[in-house]
Amino acid sequence: MQENQHIIELKYLTKYYKGSNIPAIDNISLNIDKGEIYGLLGPNGAGKTTTISILCGLFGPTSGNVFIDGLEYKHSSEKIKNIIGVVPQEIALYPSLTAKENLNFFGHMYGLKGKQLKNRIDECLELFGLEKNANRRIKTFSGGMKRRINIIAGILHKPKILYLDEPTVGVDVQSRNVILDHLRDLNRDGTTIIYTSHYMEEAENLCSRVAIIDMGKIITEGKPKELINSKEEYSDLESIFLNITGRALRDE
Amino acid sequence: MRRLLSSIYKEFLVLIRDRAGLAILFIMPLVLILIMTVIQDATFKTVKEVDISMILVNNDKDNLGEAISKGLYSSNFFKIVEEIDGVKITEELAEELVAKGEYKIGIIIPERATEAIRGNVNALINKSFKSFNIPGVKKRTKKSTIDVTIYIDPVTSPSFRNMVMSSLKEFTSQLEIEMFFKNFSEALTQLMPDQKPIKFESFETIKYQEINASTTGVTKLPNSVQHNVPAWTMFAMFFIVLPMAGNIIKEREDGSAFRLKTMPGSFVTVMFSKIFVFLGVAFLQFILMLLVGVYIMPLLGLPQLEIGPHKIALAVMALASGLAATGYGVAIGTIATTHEQAATFGAVSIIIFAALGGIWVPVYIMPPAMRILSQFSPLQWGLNGFYDILLRGGDLFVVLAETGKLLFFFILMLIIAIVYNNYNKTK
Repeated sequence: MQENQHIIELKYLTKYYKGSNIPAIDNISLNIDKGEIYGLLGPNGAGKTTTISILCGLFGPTSGNVFIDGLEYKHSSEKIKNIIGVVPQEIALYPSLTAKENLNFFGHMYGLKGKQLKNRIDECLELFGLEKNANRRIKTFSGGMKRRINIIAGILHKPKILYLDEPTVGVDVQSRNVILDHLRDLNRDGTTIIYTSHYMEEAENLCSRVAIIDMGKIITEGKPKELINSKEEYSDLESIFLNITGRALRDE
Repeated sequence: MRRLLSSIYKEFLVLIRDRAGLAILFIMPLVLILIMTVIQDATFKTVKEVDISMILVNNDKDNLGEAISKGLYSSNFFKIVEEIDGVKITEELAEELVAKGEYKIGIIIPERATEAIRGNVNALINKSFKSFNIPGVKKRTKKSTIDVTIYIDPVTSPSFRNMVMSSLKEFTSQLEIEMFFKNFSEALTQLMPDQKPIKFESFETIKYQEINASTTGVTKLPNSVQHNVPAWTMFAMFFIVLPMAGNIIKEREDGSAFRLKTMPGSFVTVMFSKIFVFLGVAFLQFILMLLVGVYIMPLLGLPQLEIGPHKIALAVMALASGLAATGYGVAIGTIATTHEQAATFGAVSIIIFAALGGIWVPVYIMPPAMRILSQFSPLQWGLNGFYDILLRGGDLFVVLAETGKLLFFFILMLIIAIVYNNYNKTK
């Protein structure tokens, strides 16, 4: 166990996918403190999803180290998995099951049980305004409702760290506001949030710090306000983003 | 344990909510087993139940033509056709009809064939009694050949052709023997006129008794259903691989697998829950197929499946086969990246396993190389086990080897899936 005040530490992280000689992420180092909402921003193919995947333990880096709450996946995979929550970009739910059945299953997988699980499901459904739809099958939900259930499935066990990959993509303004409000609430309750997004305004309002990644490297990192004030031509996070990553179209 | 139970419950809900998929899982194997058993029943049936049309052009009108005609009619193998719309079929028409595939076989007995046989028999007797100079026996010594022409539709199987040829040979040789003895008797009477004429009567000196070889005291010969139900049940049970692999790939595609991989202890838990649920499906399929054999097949005029006394052995074999099938499903679902890959590879590999396993052609008539390969087919192990129980009357002890092989295959498939899953993490 490494003594450390950072809840997440990436040290010289590099990842080459098999068969590729271009690194998906290239010698990235960053620290995230407990209680932060940290935004990983970047164009398509920048390395955000690779970074999140390594942070979630889906696969390891080619070189470098990852410490999650002072633990490493190679030694303490199960311990780390118990303290993290993941909200994938896809609606990672079973469409033929009801909202409650989905949450029951994922809750059990996180080790919750009995009344504790039932109460937590009811609480989350109410928080996200879905209590009346608890017994409806997911396939009958709207896009925004699916997104909200997708988030609940990742926070049922009150994780110390929550990874969110584009949590608000394709949802209406109302659903987006509900989601962002609850992310702030979660953060206030002590959950550290690492989040990727293409919505710069959203990131500017939500994140305590952001890193802009491109071509597998961190181009800039800091508090949104400080980054915006760092140069006169920057008016918001989007202008920084476009200035750094360019205006050319990016493919995946 | 709670995670496993919850995962099993989730798999169960996913399965039962897919009504169409569920119907396919249970109805298709039943349809398959019924159709295949009815079709294959013909090869087991007694000949009178088989209705193969055959043309007979009898130009002989004497003993040979009569013997062949009588033999064919009384054999009940065939439906004999000698005329169409009251007009006698000629050799040319017979050839044409067989060539068109309207009839499978046409037999042409030439004119004066009996006379030729008679001449040959006399020639033989003359040769034997040369020095006696018997007045009543004709002095013919030259042998002549009789050409019975048989037109065969090329689509007929070699075994069917062999059956026809051996039947014809049996009828004609019987006639030759009878003629020989008759003429021989006449010659002897000529030679010894004071003696009472010797009357040769044909009778069967050898009787054939078919007994089921068994170490368990079961001597009854098995019927077609007893052969076909276990074979097609094994085949159908292995098709559980397709929905199972599809289920794993779908979970990966919709992102649930991504989420599950980030959860504590999930891969093995999730896989075992799938195995548990699909094993239940396979076992239920097995029971339904047995019930079809016992209750439905007799309604279709097929023999009834006799389950026998070793029901526990049967259940153990079914579970072992189900485990082998579900293990294979897990391996294919883990390795295949698309539904198309899984469906094509899964289906074709099962058909190969089935072919090697002796589902279509018995292993003992395969070429030596194929017989060696068949030893590596899980369907062959399963089929052997079911035959041991249902045909040879074997018990649980008898099928231990086959059960062990199937369980080994299951474990091997799981290891392959786990190793591949771990290898994927290093990509």
